[in-house]
Amino acid sequence: MVPDPGTDLWRAVRQRGVIEPGRTQIPGLDSGVLVDVSGEEFRDYRRERFIRYFGWILPGVVLLTLLFHLLHGAITYRPSGRRVLRFDLYDRIAHWLLALVFLFLGSTGLILAFGRFVILPWSGKEAFSVVASASKEGHNLFGPLFIVALVWVILRFLSRNWPSREDIVWLLRGGGFFGGTHCSAGFFNAGEKLWFWLLFIGGLALSVSGLLLDFPALAPGRDALILALVVHGLAAILLLGFALGHIYVGTIGVQGTLQGMTSGEVDEAWAEAHHDRWFAQIREGERTDAATTGRVARENGQKPLGEGA
Amino acid sequence: MIPVSAFVDGPLWIFSLVVFLAGVGWRLLGMLRQGLGRDFSRPRASSLTGALHALLFRFLPPRGMAKRLRFHLLAGYLFHLGLFALLFFALPHVEFLSERLLGFGWVAMPRWAFILAAEAAFLGLLMLWLNRVLNPVTRLISNTGDHAASVLLFLVMLTGCLALARSHESLRLLHFLFVELLMIYFPFSSLMHSITFLFSRPAIGAHYGRRGVSS
Repeated sequence: MVPDPGTDLWRAVRQRGVIEPGRTQIPGLDSGVLVDVSGEEFRDYRRERFIRYFGWILPGVVLLTLLFHLLHGAITYRPSGRRVLRFDLYDRIAHWLLALVFLFLGSTGLILAFGRFVILPWSGKEAFSVVASASKEGHNLFGPLFIVALVWVILRFLSRNWPSREDIVWLLRGGGFFGGTHCSAGFFNAGEKLWFWLLFIGGLALSVSGLLLDFPALAPGRDALILALVVHGLAAILLLGFALGHIYVGTIGVQGTLQGMTSGEVDEAWAEAHHDRWFAQIREGERTDAATTGRVARENGQKPLGEGA
Repeated sequence: MIPVSAFVDGPLWIFSLVVFLAGVGWRLLGMLRQGLGRDFSRPRASSLTGALHALLFRFLPPRGMAKRLRFHLLAGYLFHLGLFALLFFALPHVEFLSERLLGFGWVAMPRWAFILAAEAAFLGLLMLWLNRVLNPVTRLISNTGDHAASVLLFLVMLTGCLALARSHESLRLLHFLFVELLMIYFPFSSLMHSITFLFSRPAIGAHYGRRGVSS
């Protein structure tokens, strides 16, 4: 049998064994490698295993949340009509900036990851190509905005999210969601703190991996880019799952919570029911302020307010 | 029947351009025809100095208020400078202005500068709009037209960035459609401030300058 001379050439090009980069004048990552089989293998793994299995997490979270709501219902309270400031203007702007950017990145990211399996079959190749191209450009462009918003949120909320001993009790009781027992909490409860730290770590992972994917020339090698893709996908799914829970609790799950992030104020009854230690601090501060005002008034020869004429 | 793409690229473009130019011209003419009211008081200082001072130095925050205004200053400059750079120095815009309107072009900014400008413009616009809806004072003084202008501007910027790959004609058309809607809306909206500030600022500066008051 006469060996096909093209076979040896093709084998050398494919480099199925050890990859030895050739010489090239083109600067860039792996530009000296004609065909890298590991990339193809990762693509298969990403499509067939990673996306297929992790894709069920988000529908699962939605289903669980729905089930919880049907069985448990919303947590309500009787409004007192008196309001107390919970989040100042810049807390709210930072929060909503991050939320808007995160939701945009989440939507476009989901299209990029799952669109091929979910949208393409009914949209057709032409339409999906447009949506995918738009999603990719939008996702890449809004990525750095996420980093800015994340850093701003971390700086504004960090001091109120340090763990405390009471958080352990809160966690052990499941936040009172299941047993119906009241769980004492400060400005943030343990669940909210957990979400903050997840956002901190997950957001950091998303940011670093996202920057590497946005600027692949910065990556030390192909393996680093593959790792960045895996980390980016995992962190995104994790954060999106928790964000769904956060949105549920913040809107319909616990009545009166959303107002804290829109107007900045919450009802005193809500504050006492969900963040009793923080509310007690506010009350203590008000008493101190009133006492100081009264003392100053007396020193100035005036009667404090509320003491009559 | 005329296809949508031909309509957006043809008649709608002409219509929006006419409405934009005529509308802006009409409003400027109306404003300039009103003129300045006669001031019979004895001038204490120069109107011209006041006008020039206001035109040049109102870009900086008033002394003593810089710290209080830092959010608005940062967000405002990010958005306006970013948008200005995108509008006049993004390569697709320079090409468009050169080929379809002016007949001459200029040097476009490099891609990295485009990305920076886009990030700045989006960040600034989002921060300003969030301040508008979340700050009780700005929420109270904002009307539907202000919100419509913000949303329309955001959609123009967003669709422009989604079409960045320049690989799909439909994405370019979508961007162009929003640009045309913005051009039609522009003369009737508060967006006119991007032109009228060139007149209102020196007018107020001259008025204050004549009275010897810092503006």
